[in-house]
Amino acid sequence: MTIKHLFGATALSFFLTTSAFAESATLDLVEPIAEYKIYVSEKLEKLVEDTTAFTAAVKAGDVAKAKALFAPTRLSYEAIEPIAELFSDLDVAIDSRADDYEKAEADPEFPGFHRIEYGLWEKNSTAELGPVADKLLADVTELSKRINDLTFPPEKVVGGAAVLMEEVAATKISGEEDRYSHTDLWDFRGNFDGAYKIVELVRPLIEKKEGAFLKTVDANFAKVDTILAKYKEGDGYVTYEKLTEDDRKVLSTAVNTLAEDLSTLRGKLGLD
Amino acid sequence: MSRDRLADASASVDENRRQVLKGLGLAAFGCPFAGAAAQAATAPARHMTDAPVANVASAEDRVPFFGKHQAGITTPRPANGMIAAFDVIAETPDDLEALLKLITNRIAFLTEGGTLPELDPRLPPADSGIVGPVVKPDALTITVSLGSSLFDGREWLKPLKPRHLSRMKKFPNDALDAALCHGDITIQICANTQDTTIHALRDIIKNTSRHLTLKWKQEGNVPVILPPLGGVAESARNYLGFRDGTANPDSGDEAVMERVVWVGAGRGEPEWAVGGAYQAVRIIRNFVERWDRTPLKEQERIFGRTKMGGAPLDKPEAGEFATPDYAADPEGKLTPLDSHIRLANDRTPAAAENTILRRPFNYSNGVTKSGQLDQGLLFICYQGDLEKGFITVQRRLDGEPLEEYIKPIGGGYFYTLPGVRDASDYLGSTLIAAVRKAP
Repeated sequence: MTIKHLFGATALSFFLTTSAFAESATLDLVEPIAEYKIYVSEKLEKLVEDTTAFTAAVKAGDVAKAKALFAPTRLSYEAIEPIAELFSDLDVAIDSRADDYEKAEADPEFPGFHRIEYGLWEKNSTAELGPVADKLLADVTELSKRINDLTFPPEKVVGGAAVLMEEVAATKISGEEDRYSHTDLWDFRGNFDGAYKIVELVRPLIEKKEGAFLKTVDANFAKVDTILAKYKEGDGYVTYEKLTEDDRKVLSTAVNTLAEDLSTLRGKLGLD
Repeated sequence: MSRDRLADASASVDENRRQVLKGLGLAAFGCPFAGAAAQAATAPARHMTDAPVANVASAEDRVPFFGKHQAGITTPRPANGMIAAFDVIAETPDDLEALLKLITNRIAFLTEGGTLPELDPRLPPADSGIVGPVVKPDALTITVSLGSSLFDGREWLKPLKPRHLSRMKKFPNDALDAALCHGDITIQICANTQDTTIHALRDIIKNTSRHLTLKWKQEGNVPVILPPLGGVAESARNYLGFRDGTANPDSGDEAVMERVVWVGAGRGEPEWAVGGAYQAVRIIRNFVERWDRTPLKEQERIFGRTKMGGAPLDKPEAGEFATPDYAADPEGKLTPLDSHIRLANDRTPAAAENTILRRPFNYSNGVTKSGQLDQGLLFICYQGDLEKGFITVQRRLDGEPLEEYIKPIGGGYFYTLPGVRDASDYLGSTLIAAVRKAP
């Protein structure tokens, strides 16, 4: 809470001192941000649709179907995570992990996707998951509504590319995100797609000045694509446990380098 | 581990340390801190395992980076040290060269110190900022070593692997945690203050993300003591309360270091490796609660030294630097045959072959699941022959009574690169040249 308030205050002071340069940069960003909003809306629509099917399977007690729908449903959420995270109450309700709760998996407060994941994979059952599924669908629907009503802050959109990479670098490369289902590679796909989309949208604005930068960034995205392609299976990916140690290291350096590089994207666009 | 653990194995026990240290005698040993000529006129000679002296260290202390050998090996230990192990992403010789040049540049800047660049505030700052806008040298040394896996995983490097470099194997008392072992490269970072070591680590991580992923890290420190009254520097104590490093070879004696530490042309090592050394790292947990509940007599018999003074047990009043006379005590009545220092170095001429240069730091990490302190020794040693050095000494120690109180849980073997000659050179340049020359 305190931290959020601090950030809020900082953002406000930046806003008050916005320079002419930043204003013109913001004008240039109008179109990319409008396009990004469409991208996010489409992802949200898909998220609500997929979550409806996923939670219906859970409520019907169909473990196999629910398991099959878990990872593809999350894909849309992972792609727009930086925007979803603007509503921290919903992000916690939808995507928090057992570690965030005092009694971990046994904690009655433990909600959302990962609570259901735990039941499906660790208990191979949908017992007790009905109310969790109802709440998840309600939260996802609410998220969609709130985001559709939101004016996207440019620095959050552009900064989102780096945020997605930071997420992977800090807590996903270890395989702890989807620790029961090991469907982490699906999440990675969503995170990388979401970050790459942002780079694509602002590319025309920095192409001339930042050719070398974009070349490095593209090369690292390509490295990630090459590795993920090796683990493709059907419409998705094999279990995270099959990722070799060598490939995990290459992914890790690519992610950290992307995080380092993309952290400069806001500044390159003149955003505070 | 501890203390004398590895190797009390020196036939040439630091004679100089027995003398009352006189400032004028200094030049012969070389003051570790360049540019400290004024200080050299009054300060006593320092040796590698002396305890750092309170109020003497300064943020302006500068250890020269360029030289035949890397700094941070024979350099007197400052109060803080750390080993960080990384995996390397380098598919080609060009990749590896780029990494080595990058690390060289960072080390050259960090050890020299200087003002940080100011960037557009809309960008992330160039530096973590944790030591402020001006980086002080603070006696910083950064020492780079390569692990066996770096060579094994690359066809173009394999033929150039140093002959004794191998993946550390478990010794009988070890309980190695895979998450604390091995690595393609280690970076030893030492400085007067912990802020400086952490700043250096964060700088390197930030600048090398293309090539390095952090695997494990252990920080440690050396207790700082008041200036010695009699002029004789004492060895620092470990967390078992005993002095560590008493019988280390004289790191100020270049001839001794050539024999003990540095790989020269005659050792059958690849030519590129000349000027380097083998580094053995061991993270050795100490069961300190249990140790503190052990009778003093038994503690002293386990080590073979008195606890407070550090003297060998056959000459308890003679002081830390007295040489034990094992020939006069063949049955081990005074110094048990299985005591740590006697096993590590039986003081026979043959044992001189197994001398190593120890450079340990104490660590204190937190609390174990059982509610005990997680403390121990970050044991680091250097030698010209890993097999005759650490491995042989550790084999002699296998089964020693001290094992009840210690548990090695991590570490590895590495090859410390030769030094960087000057600003036109870089770490590992001889290795890269050898790769390019290979058929």
